[in-house]
Amino acid sequence: MAAMEKVSTPRSGAHTVIGSSIVIDGEISGDEDLVIQGTVKGKIDLKESLYVESSGVIEADIETANVEVSGQVTGNIAASDKVELKADCKVVGDIRAPRILIADGATFKGNVDMDVKGGK
Amino acid sequence: MAATSGIIGRGTVVRGNLSGSGDVVVEGRLEGTVALEDRLTVESGGKVVADVQLENLIVHGEMGGDVVAAERVVISSTAKVVGDIKAPRVVIEDGARFSGSIEMDVKLPEGI
Amino acid sequence: MATVDGTTIIGESILISGSLNGDEDLTVRGRVEGTLTLTRTLVVEPTGTVKAEVQVKNCVIAGVVVGNVTASESVEITKEGRMVGDISSPRVIIVDGASFRGRIDMGEVDVERAERGSRPALSRPATPRPALRPAAKAAEPRKAEEKAPAKPAVPPAPVAMGAVKRKVIVKRK
Repeated sequence: MAAMEKVSTPRSGAHTVIGSSIVIDGEISGDEDLVIQGTVKGKIDLKESLYVESSGVIEADIETANVEVSGQVTGNIAASDKVELKADCKVVGDIRAPRILIADGATFKGNVDMDVKGGK
Repeated sequence: MAATSGIIGRGTVVRGNLSGSGDVVVEGRLEGTVALEDRLTVESGGKVVADVQLENLIVHGEMGGDVVAAERVVISSTAKVVGDIKAPRVVIEDGARFSGSIEMDVKLPEGI
Repeated sequence: MATVDGTTIIGESILISGSLNGDEDLTVRGRVEGTLTLTRTLVVEPTGTVKAEVQVKNCVIAGVVVGNVTASESVEITKEGRMVGDISSPRVIIVDGASFRGRIDMGEVDVERAERGSRPALSRPATPRPALRPAAKAAEPRKAEEKAPAKPAVPPAPVAMGAVKRKVIVKRK
């Protein structure tokens, strides 16, 4: 594992990165990938992928196409495509997605619902 | 560019209504009101204490008063200006000292 | 990608609504509404819109800002920048072509200012004008100066352009 933070390459379009010293208290919405290294409280509504890096702390309900969590999420996650919980992440909340991956070492507490018809 | 029709030299004080066409350069002191068709230049030792109405204003020195310009106002890096400015274009250079309001035409996108 | 230089980038399609605080540079290409507080530099790119109360160290506006900006160091509005709001900063740069409407406060600017709505200097009925007193202080001393009829101030004498008058500085408050 490299010394620097593991960054998953966003797939689509422009990159939005919320750096580690940033604290957002409110709502985030958008049509592109979002990488969070800081803290977000409130609500996240994306049409693309959300990457919560290891320094990321989210206290929000998340609605998106894809989520990859390496940091902390407290809130419900609804994804139309996939949710991936990587090692060392910590997620508390319900997850609803057609595909869910939970890596060895991830911490998760909540309900899982893989029965999503039609998605977002 | 209009011909320079007036220069207020360094030791000179002019007090009153200044109006006309042509460019005016102030190296001394000008007080009162100014209504020009062309340009007023306040050189770096110059001082204008007046409300002014003109086409163009360039300040290198001091200016205290309200400004209505038809074309442009430039507040240069050595200038000190206090007043309300109304003009389609206003330039404030790095180092300028300014206090007051500026009103340009600001076209904002819809939905702001 | 990521924060190679510690910069947060808000992409074009992103909308953040709420309060944003941070200790790093921030580039806005999308939209931020609410309050924005940074200890470093805010750059609003041409596609960016900030509709917020902004408090930063430096601010470069090439997009749209609606709201008041307080910067501890500098504010620059570029040629594509458009701002409506008040600026409070020791250094302000407005480039030719920028659009701005609001107040600018750089701190104390020590300049003599014309009275608001200056009086028209000319066309006054011929009143006995007092001799120009060398030490004419303004409104106050309405003492028994027999030279002057009790006038609150010395009206400016009409002057032809270029004429040299005795240099009497009348400081009106």
